[in-house]
Amino acid sequence: MVLVKIDGRELEVPKDYTILKACQAAGAQIPTFCYDERLSRHGAGACRICLIEVEGQRNLMPSCTEKVWEGMSVFTKSERVIKERKGILELMVQNHPLDCLTCEKSGDCKLQDYCYEYDVTGIKGLEERVLPVDDSNPFYKFDPDKCILCGKCVRVCEELQGTRAIVISERGPVAKVSAPFDEGLENSPCVSCGNCVSYCPVGALLPKSKTGYRVWDTKKVMTTCSYCGVGCQLELIVKGNEVVGVQPAMGAGNEGLLCVKGKFAYGFINHPDRLKKPMIRKDGVLVESTWEEALSLVANKISDIKSKYGADSIAGLTSARCTNEENYLFQKLLRAVVGTNNVDHCARL
Amino acid sequence: MKKVNVVIDGKSINVPESYTVIMAAKELGIEIPAFCYEPSLEIVASCRICVVEIEGSRKLETACSTKVWEGMNVQTRSERVIKERRQILQLLLDNHPNDCLTCQKAGECLLQKYAYEYDVKFGDESSQVSLKIDKSNPYVYRDESKCILCGRCVRICAQIPERSVLCFANRGTEMKIAADYDKTMGSSSCVACQRCVSVCPVGALMDGRLMGRHRSWECEKEHIKCSVCQYGCDFELLKKGSRIVGVRSMAPGGGRPLCLKGRLTNELNYVDMSELAPVYMKKGEEYVQASWVEALALHRLINRIEKLEER
Repeated sequence: MVLVKIDGRELEVPKDYTILKACQAAGAQIPTFCYDERLSRHGAGACRICLIEVEGQRNLMPSCTEKVWEGMSVFTKSERVIKERKGILELMVQNHPLDCLTCEKSGDCKLQDYCYEYDVTGIKGLEERVLPVDDSNPFYKFDPDKCILCGKCVRVCEELQGTRAIVISERGPVAKVSAPFDEGLENSPCVSCGNCVSYCPVGALLPKSKTGYRVWDTKKVMTTCSYCGVGCQLELIVKGNEVVGVQPAMGAGNEGLLCVKGKFAYGFINHPDRLKKPMIRKDGVLVESTWEEALSLVANKISDIKSKYGADSIAGLTSARCTNEENYLFQKLLRAVVGTNNVDHCARL
Repeated sequence: MKKVNVVIDGKSINVPESYTVIMAAKELGIEIPAFCYEPSLEIVASCRICVVEIEGSRKLETACSTKVWEGMNVQTRSERVIKERRQILQLLLDNHPNDCLTCQKAGECLLQKYAYEYDVKFGDESSQVSLKIDKSNPYVYRDESKCILCGRCVRICAQIPERSVLCFANRGTEMKIAADYDKTMGSSSCVACQRCVSVCPVGALMDGRLMGRHRSWECEKEHIKCSVCQYGCDFELLKKGSRIVGVRSMAPGGGRPLCLKGRLTNELNYVDMSELAPVYMKKGEEYVQASWVEALALHRLINRIEKLEER
């Protein structure tokens, strides 16, 4: 443990803490764009917005990369820090389309939040870049004009997802996030997991949602993904009575990550063709029925077949969408109740 | 009351004949955009954004002012209607500063809401519009550049006959909302009841003391009734997490006045101590910072209570 002083308040923190973590422990609010506690220090400190002043140090330091040391005194809101942060925001916003009126990210955008907090209004200075939007991926779009080049998407893709589909190409004022050889996201190794989209702090990476929505018109409902047995935690973004998007949550199984199905394949929830009741084929036509009727029909048929042809004429195939517990119970049902070892699982196919 | 059958966007409904199209549509769950229309105010049909297409009418009609009739067939989202609404929004935006990045109204602004819905964006003209801020009244922050001249504020102010502080001034492109004879909000006869603030659909009239303290989307809102007098006006508590960061006036109901005293008392009562904004009193022509005891005239009361308790 080391003793540090944050804005005059003394506290003890573990010696492997970054200054940012120590500040957070002291209750100081530090703005961040590129920081994510799951990411390594490689490529960190790119956005510079988390700069703080340390007594005795000539330069301001990015708090997300520097470790704490014994006796250090940190100022998170000094005049110099505020001035520097304002300068960074001004540079970012000068090069950012002023589109909050209709931008889908509005209300959930860190650039907007910090500009409000630090009172940075959209000054028109530099020529706006007008780069083409890459909407070649069916699930999300990338607008390089809105990108602040914090590099978080690149690091999430590489370190957390392990796909390495995007990089920052070029240098200086023409630097941009791009797919290999600039051939568009569709021709990249991208698996459309959407984790870059979930963590983009601004409106550069946005899902292509079928129903447009404004963040403030929605509420979030925490749930478990039903696509496979991993049980990823996610938040459904709900507008009125319709699911319009998904945001990953920090669950033990997924640690804030999702796959393409969990992130983007929620359209079935509100689909008019969705089956909500079991169907039984009667005289060649599928008709809606009750669970009670459907389950007793299945049970009766199984006992009929068993008594006529023996238990081994029955086989059970279960699904990777079920949990371990459900799969366990299924094989138990087949082995102990039906009396056969003919049981398999779609994940083996 | 006689009832009539109308068809709106293919759905039929039976409503009293005193209903306007916008009221009938609301009962069907069809939302028609409106700036100047406010159910508690006189109908003026000036903003034109609520236009709808009525079978048999050559022109588009305003849904807020057109009464329903038997057999009426209305289209609220036809191509012609959408085109008209988009044009109105574009004209409003061309004359409005592009300030949503930090505007206090963002998230609750009707202009922003409809611009998003109808996919209309700021053009180059808006970059020429600069803010015209009047901060002279700390309770009523006015930014003329954001005004869309819907007149809600004028009508709600005029509901209190002895007030009628706000009015339209000038004509045509020079038209604006003026306080008294074009005074600042601070030096006018405004009593800071905030009725106008509670109905302004855009960021032209806002509570100055709440500026920069919260964004609408990070706050949960809780409705409360003021208990300072028997009118029981409606107020809203703004909650950021577990902290109450502000109180704001909601639109006054029939016969209700809204007043600054009620507002400040609720603030003192509910708002987190660390979030209390300074209070101001008007002295002469100007607002100056005051103590809570002074602003709420509690000095004598506190004194007497203290004496009573000593006894």
